[in-house]
Amino acid sequence: MTIEFRKEYFADERDDNLNEIGKPTQRQDALGHVTGRSPFFDDHLFDGLLHIRCVRSPHHHARIRRIDTSEAERMPGVVRIITGRDVPQNLNTLLSLLDFGIDDEPLLSEKKVSYKGEPVAAVVAESERAARDAVAKVRVDWEELPAVFDVEEAVKPGAPVVNDIYPGNLFIYHGKYDHQKLRFGDVEAGFRQADQVIEGRYQMSPIEQAPTETCGAIAAPETNDRYVVYTSTQALFFSLDTTSKLLKTPSNRLHFIGGTVGGGFGGKVDSLHEPLAVLGTMLTGRPCKYIFDREEEMQVGAPRGAERWYIRDGVMNDGRIVARKFIGYFDSGAYTRLSSYAIIKGVGHLPGPYTIPNVYADVYCVFTNRTPATAMRGFGITGVDFAIEAHMDKVAHAVNMDPIELRILNAYRDGDMKAHRRLAKNTALIECCQVAAEKAQWPISQKARQASSLREGGGERAKIPNFTAIDQNGLVTGFTAGNYARKAKRSEPAAPQSLPTQTPRHDSVPVAPRYEQPVRPQHQPAASAPPPPAPPAQTASDARRTRFSSISGLRRR
Amino acid sequence: MPVRVETYDRTEDAARALSSSRSARFLGGGTLVMRAVNAGDQSFDTIVRLRDPSFSTIRSEGDGYTVGAGVTMAAVAQSRDLAFLAPVARVVGGPAIRNMATVGGNLFATGNYGDFTVALLALGATVNLAGSSGRGIPIDDFLRDRERHATSLVLSVTVPRPREAGAFRFLKVSRVKPKGVSVMSIATYLPQSGGRVQGARVAYGSMAPHPVRATGVERALDGQALDAAAIDRAAAAATQGLNPPTDAIASGWYRTEVAGVHLKRLLAGERR
Repeated sequence: MTIEFRKEYFADERDDNLNEIGKPTQRQDALGHVTGRSPFFDDHLFDGLLHIRCVRSPHHHARIRRIDTSEAERMPGVVRIITGRDVPQNLNTLLSLLDFGIDDEPLLSEKKVSYKGEPVAAVVAESERAARDAVAKVRVDWEELPAVFDVEEAVKPGAPVVNDIYPGNLFIYHGKYDHQKLRFGDVEAGFRQADQVIEGRYQMSPIEQAPTETCGAIAAPETNDRYVVYTSTQALFFSLDTTSKLLKTPSNRLHFIGGTVGGGFGGKVDSLHEPLAVLGTMLTGRPCKYIFDREEEMQVGAPRGAERWYIRDGVMNDGRIVARKFIGYFDSGAYTRLSSYAIIKGVGHLPGPYTIPNVYADVYCVFTNRTPATAMRGFGITGVDFAIEAHMDKVAHAVNMDPIELRILNAYRDGDMKAHRRLAKNTALIECCQVAAEKAQWPISQKARQASSLREGGGERAKIPNFTAIDQNGLVTGFTAGNYARKAKRSEPAAPQSLPTQTPRHDSVPVAPRYEQPVRPQHQPAASAPPPPAPPAQTASDARRTRFSSISGLRRR
Repeated sequence: MPVRVETYDRTEDAARALSSSRSARFLGGGTLVMRAVNAGDQSFDTIVRLRDPSFSTIRSEGDGYTVGAGVTMAAVAQSRDLAFLAPVARVVGGPAIRNMATVGGNLFATGNYGDFTVALLALGATVNLAGSSGRGIPIDDFLRDRERHATSLVLSVTVPRPREAGAFRFLKVSRVKPKGVSVMSIATYLPQSGGRVQGARVAYGSMAPHPVRATGVERALDGQALDAAAIDRAAAAATQGLNPPTDAIASGWYRTEVAGVHLKRLLAGERR
């Protein structure tokens, strides 16, 4: 199949001097894979290797009354049994490395479990079989608790508290709110202006990454009081720092060696195996391996989380979307892992690749008694994109319009202001729709065929709305924002903290754009309101300037 | 307990080792047992092996063949005598599995596996156990009490030679071809005399906890000419008395819906 490039759309964006794009390139690991020589973590053999297996909760939610390991300790081949007491710092949240969120997850739980399969003890034994047999002999006295599996049930008053760190079952954003807000313009005014209001509910299921190689790590003592770790991790330094934190061990004593990952897709960033393997080695002085079996990979390994989205669009009869409101629920499972970050990412993406003058989003990171969710390929975006595009089709049907034409009409164009207050560039959604329609021999109107993302963007569409409706819904106390979302050390229950003065976080007057104006001459799109002032004349040298983007580094505009 | 492997040269010793311990498993080709070992199956801790060469030979006897329990699927596929069973052996697993998987092991395969046994059931084979005096057990009875026979050593299977070419047919239905797991498998043995089916035997795999006879189909075909009307009646009776299981491969509903379709195609000799 020949690849067809449409380089003309970006001809003035970059020089056409790329050496790899469009040319067949052999993956650098392909030769190793097909000859069976790629070294995976489990290919490293150590004399006297010990095997770690975890005792896991059979319940979705239960208090641990007592863990009796005495019989298991006497089993043949058992070297050591590890419980939460042996973990130097037995509480962590992955993104604490970025100072984002509060430590909320133990490596080995001591007081209660909040999802089925949560580890409460680990057996270190001479063989995997011996470890399994000993795991079966660990007696745990459980007190089963009511569990909650639905995101909206979990946020109702009186719902079981999944994660004691977040008593409302909601992650706290910026130390302030129990959800992530996005406010751009005034959606309620938009709905009043609209000819029709179209609503939709969209539900995604969790997806397991299902790598061929299950997650695991081998740790072994090294000279100079160091530990070497071979791991399948996708995020070597992430795993190293997490291990360093949980074991209160300086990172210069940890020698992490990654390499070939036998399939990851996001499921190998949670760093559950490295800390326990190193801890086993510290406690026994011998090399230790901890690896999920297939069942653990499926049941305990963190999937892409489920999402639920409610979308409400205000639409004019000619197809223009004038307001879009999102209420989103991410099912984070029992602990935060990376869902909090996925939401930040997702909210930056709203309202999708469309220019809509009024946008509103409340997105909740909800704790439920399900397997904690984590990264997977574009997480934070893929779920809501499914919801948005399904909703676009619904809108098209409601206004009796061709779905591709609806997208072209509402598509963002170069120079438009996005709801997260960045100017859109290199948009090309219109061109993408046109090519897709052409290839599928899907008839679209002359007007849609002539539309271009390079024209009619910017201008009035580049402005932040004059008025943005803001609110303090979901305000919380007891969390401080100074140090990112850190829970206040000790809030006096007798003297509840007064509500902070309401300081609007979004300016209600036009703000001078912090970004340069788009370079291309702009025209008023036929659809929108009063004509914008003529854009300032730009010179070619302006157009060639580079600028810094926090997302993609230095970019030439 | 670590898993212990016991290897015997004499059949009696292996049979005794197997029957004297409830935590022992017999290792044929290992395609089931070693998978269980790797998955950490704690229900057994001893593996019994047998090195008797006669355990893996195929002998022609009277009006049939005695196939050693240790004969592999690859050996069946290559055997001139067992040419009628070659199409069955060839759809079991991939080449690596067929090189190891044995006739004896297939008798104990659960879930969606054990397609070869479906063929043996349709052909009316008998199962010969170590230490049992005289004749073997009819395969129908063996499968009915399969769990009870787990501590017995199967020595061989005696398969009658089909009376006429074309009387035996087999179909494995899988979503992935050629080596997917069975949605279902169908084996039919329909000997005819005077243009009419006499003594029909029809068996299914994956339609019950173990391979079963489709008695409704057999009744619909017995004494009939194998014409379109009889085939339609057989298809209508395809799942009579059966409650097909729901598993990762297919739902019970789906199996019920498609069983008649596949049976009809097999009986009509349609190419799939």
